[in-house]
Amino acid sequence: MENIRTIEEINDKIRKGDAVVVTAEEMVDIVNEKGSKVAAKEIDVVTTGTLGAMCSSGAFFNFGHSDPPIKMEKLTLNGIEAYHGNAAVDCYLGVTKMHPERRFEYGGGHVIEELISGKEIELEATAYGTDCYPRKFLKTILTLDDLNQAILCNPRNAYQRYATATNSRDEIIYTYMGKLLPNYGNATYSGAGSLSPLSNDPDYETIGIGNRIFLGGGIGYITNEGTQHDPKNKLGTIMVHGDLKQMKPEFLKGASFTGYGTSIYVGLGIPIPILNEGLAKKTGISDEEIKSNVLDYAVGRRNRPVLKETNYAELKSGKVLLDDKEIPVTPLSSIKESVEISNILKKWIEKGTFFLTAPVERLSRDRIFKPLKVVSEIPLAKEIMNVAVTCKLSDDIDTVAKKIIDENVNHVAVVDEDYRLLGISTSFDITKAVATGKTKLSDIMTKNVITTKPEDSVNICAKKLEEHNISALPVVDRDNKIIGIVTSEKISSLLSKE
Amino acid sequence: MKVALRIKTENVTDPIISNVILEKKARINILSAQVNEKGGKVLLEVPDEKTEEIVKAFRDFGVEVEVGKIIEILKDKCMECGHCITLCPVDAIFFEKDYAIGLDENKCIQCRACLDCCPTRAIKLYG
Repeated sequence: MENIRTIEEINDKIRKGDAVVVTAEEMVDIVNEKGSKVAAKEIDVVTTGTLGAMCSSGAFFNFGHSDPPIKMEKLTLNGIEAYHGNAAVDCYLGVTKMHPERRFEYGGGHVIEELISGKEIELEATAYGTDCYPRKFLKTILTLDDLNQAILCNPRNAYQRYATATNSRDEIIYTYMGKLLPNYGNATYSGAGSLSPLSNDPDYETIGIGNRIFLGGGIGYITNEGTQHDPKNKLGTIMVHGDLKQMKPEFLKGASFTGYGTSIYVGLGIPIPILNEGLAKKTGISDEEIKSNVLDYAVGRRNRPVLKETNYAELKSGKVLLDDKEIPVTPLSSIKESVEISNILKKWIEKGTFFLTAPVERLSRDRIFKPLKVVSEIPLAKEIMNVAVTCKLSDDIDTVAKKIIDENVNHVAVVDEDYRLLGISTSFDITKAVATGKTKLSDIMTKNVITTKPEDSVNICAKKLEEHNISALPVVDRDNKIIGIVTSEKISSLLSKE
Repeated sequence: MKVALRIKTENVTDPIISNVILEKKARINILSAQVNEKGGKVLLEVPDEKTEEIVKAFRDFGVEVEVGKIIEILKDKCMECGHCITLCPVDAIFFEKDYAIGLDENKCIQCRACLDCCPTRAIKLYG
């Protein structure tokens, strides 16, 4: 489509205070009323905004050198372990890294929020000591001002659209999409719909690498296509960086998802220059036109069942219809803050403090988001276990011997009335009992039984069998009730098939 | 009116609430009650016109009483996502027109369903 203005021309207008800027929400009505041709003529810039939990995020810090200097090997910030595989006093703090005791209540995201709120943070580091960095221990208190660089790094933000989550199970589940009530009791979604940056520029004509953006209340930049960028399914993402020293806790806030982990809310806004009528039309996209699949998060698989296709208009109404049942639905991201970000960005441009940038490279339009390649599926104990042959503690040796012959097994598990494991006896134990004249099962069985859990992989089972020099592992549940038995014969037969 | 009680451990087996109901001839609705090693926590709905005398009666039995404020959404923490809205069984939390979070304190029954769902832990219960 033929361009009617350039980014340079728009920046000139911004400098003079003449640029016409509207938010993506306002643009929907303008395009509806006036049509895209008139809208393109009248509007120079459309501002977008979004604010959601960004688990991919973290921050790079440089602390400067102590005297004597240290090459930090292990380090924590307010008790949260930071990644130290960098240079001597550089580190990376991930937002999902949790405090060892406070768990979901406090993580890397909270440390970043406290730093930008001006609070003091405790740094504790240990090292092995080198000739050039002799120091082995360091403990100090820092604020954001004390750091040389503090850079927010968010490898995946601004998902063009996202799934809606609900739960078919008859119990509450706790997920990264929040607390989901039993039997489709509620649903959650993410994304700002018509305000979402990439939905307003779905062909990535103006949003690309190098763009200056609103990030966490300050200025940030798009530095790459985002991880898991999936343009063909309209699930594009961007990677962004920004200076934490400019950011505000209102737009960058630590988050706790009970049962899942910690994270951080990141506010982001991108201006879209209306270079042609096509862009005016695209930025006029409404909530109805942006689709979201309602997925059953009770199914813990990569591909969760799609229950229906909805759109952001239905989602924003607060109810989503599923098989004649109205389910209450709310976002996990913030619509109010998204609107606010688009308004702040609009004000910045109107005031002449924020200028637009052309991308230095465009985002990929054909990248495929691949699943993880797994070279060999490792079977689990529950998949390879046999039915366990059991007996009671009161059974005599003859009965157990008969079971071993009748069932053609080498191991008999001794259990109580509730099938809780008490011991195990082998054909060798029985032979020994006959040879030594013992008649009571409790005298010959092994009481400290090595067991395994149903979800343990066959590797773990093989390791246990070898380490303890045994030939079978009872598989028990949380209450120590027997649910099967993994034998070395079975593992051998699996290997021989390969 | 909502009234929150804190009953001492040594008094949790006393029929304090029954005594107050009979003594004050008041229709008191027990919205929630929890007893643990720290004592008892009870949330009541009491008739507005009798609140004052009921509160006094509980205090006379040695019960700590808090009247009125039972829930607050801390504005500096809240990101206004609205996840709590779908968890609230009595519609005490809702979206305002501009997607700000609204709260009708009178409806809250302190069921606690919203507490662990809030990503920024912005909801505070009193009493």
